Amino acid sequence: MHLAYLDAGSGSLIVQAVVGGVAGAAVAAKLYWRRLVARFRRQPTDHG
Amino acid sequence: MGIPESVRVEPGSFRDPANRVFHAGAEVLRALDETAAADWRALAGTEFFPALMAAGRICRTEQVEPGGPLPESGRPWAAVLRHERIPFVAHPYEWSFSMLRDAALLHLEILRAALPAGFTTKDGSAYNLQWRGADPVFIDVGSFTPVRDGEPWAGYRQFCQTLLYPLLLQAHLGLDFQPLLRARVDGIEPEQMRRIFGGTRRLLPGVPTHVHLHGAMQRRNSGATTADVRSQLRAAGYSRELALATVRGLEKLVRRLDHRPGASHWADYQRTCGYTGQDRAAKEQFVATAVTGEPELVLDLGANDGRYARLAARHARYVVAVEQDPAVVDELYRALRAEREQRILPLVMDLADPSPGGGWRGVERAGFTPRAARADVTLALALVHHLAIGRNVPLPEVVDCLAGWCAPGGRLVVEFVDPADPMAARLLANKPDGLFPDYHRERFERLLAERGRVERRLELPSGTRTLYQVVVGG
Ligand SMILES: C[S@@+](CC[C@H](N)C(=O)[O-])C[C@H]1O[C@@H](n2cnc3c(N)ncnc32)[C@H](O)[C@@H]1O
Repeated sequence: MHLAYLDAGSGSLIVQAVVGGVAGAAVAAKLYWRRLVARFRRQPTDHG
Repeated sequence: MGIPESVRVEPGSFRDPANRVFHAGAEVLRALDETAAADWRALAGTEFFPALMAAGRICRTEQVEPGGPLPESGRPWAAVLRHERIPFVAHPYEWSFSMLRDAALLHLEILRAALPAGFTTKDGSAYNLQWRGADPVFIDVGSFTPVRDGEPWAGYRQFCQTLLYPLLLQAHLGLDFQPLLRARVDGIEPEQMRRIFGGTRRLLPGVPTHVHLHGAMQRRNSGATTADVRSQLRAAGYSRELALATVRGLEKLVRRLDHRPGASHWADYQRTCGYTGQDRAAKEQFVATAVTGEPELVLDLGANDGRYARLAARHARYVVAVEQDPAVVDELYRALRAEREQRILPLVMDLADPSPGGGWRGVERAGFTPRAARADVTLALALVHHLAIGRNVPLPEVVDCLAGWCAPGGRLVVEFVDPADPMAARLLANKPDGLFPDYHRERFERLLAERGRVERRLELPSGTRTLYQVVVGG
């Protein structure tokens, strides 16, 4: 397993998808959509 | 091979613990841990790596048997590499715009070749590159690592901070990047760039995405770990093709960035310098004689268009041409690059403010003096008056400094411009009368004699300029 010695920066990783044309933007959109869904799924258990 | 007894760890190579560069005698070696050694074996077996090395894009490297002591003896080193020696290490804040641009393009070219072969680089720093004359070369062989599918380039942020942002500042705004890079070893942050590129500037090529969006993404994701983001990106379908597209996009952007400064004061010097044809011929003859004997390293200080650096390169192994005016250096670089010159390295530096040591403990990036102090020949032609009159440096200090950049027994070739010379008079006219009572030839000659043996002396036909060849400490 390769551990990156450098902190690549979370935002710096994501922005690379966004700048990667239409396909990249789709990946970024999917990532954000999944995050959103994950947050909604978590919420009931958070309150329950 | 036998590694000589003493090893000196390279102070600039500690950031990646998987490998460590060290010096043993004149050799530049790199110790690799188990993982790095496995990466190396895989890398050496690819097609792209040996090809780039043969083309001179990557510094020549071979595995050797560790025949002597290794650095940090406690570490479990598994292999040792030997690198080609870079004749004179130069930092990005000593490069001109076109040098930084060509270095950035080389880094991207290497990444573009590596990705399809299943490799990437762990980082993206301008410090991964060095020079053989006007030819950039990628030196961080330890940076190659197998790429994991679904992962963007870990070096992108560093690439932005140390290569792309300085280029954007210079190309879009005409701002010299060197002082910024010199001040911060990690380069310029998106947050700072965002402030500089406000208003309509935010629409300039490369700025909306690599500066503003990048900065916003950093702020919004500051709570997320890179491990989480990596797996999220992989799950969302980030592919190697996307990584390649990003590299291509960066290449396209960098190629578009251009900077042609308007005529600077020094750009036209050779036409306006006031040398007669006779003076110039005599001076060239004097310098040509002074650089014979195949010196290893010649410094040409205040090199201007590199006339004397080129003359020196006919005899010397390597010439470093130092000049304060970034526009003049850029011209020189572009000319040398077009000629594929590999033995003249042009550098941007104010000799009244030479690069100090930088980075961790001030030794991670060596200052100019420790790098230069081994010159076999130092040329300081029509320079002394700029330091002594233009910058008020006391004459003995100027002589000490120039002599200090020569190896013991090395030659200093220096020109003294009399206060009566039109060029010196022009500098003097900007200062109060009588400010430099010590600036005269007799005093200068005494100072030279105190620091070495004057081997040759020539007064140029015009009568206001004298050349000296001095053996330092001799
Ligand atoms: C008079 S010209 C001499 C050029 C060349 N050495 C010759 O003899 O023809 C002086 C050059 O030194 C450069 N120079 C002046 N002060 C300098 C400094 N502090 N550091 C580096 N270069 C300097 C100028 O930019 C200019 O190109």
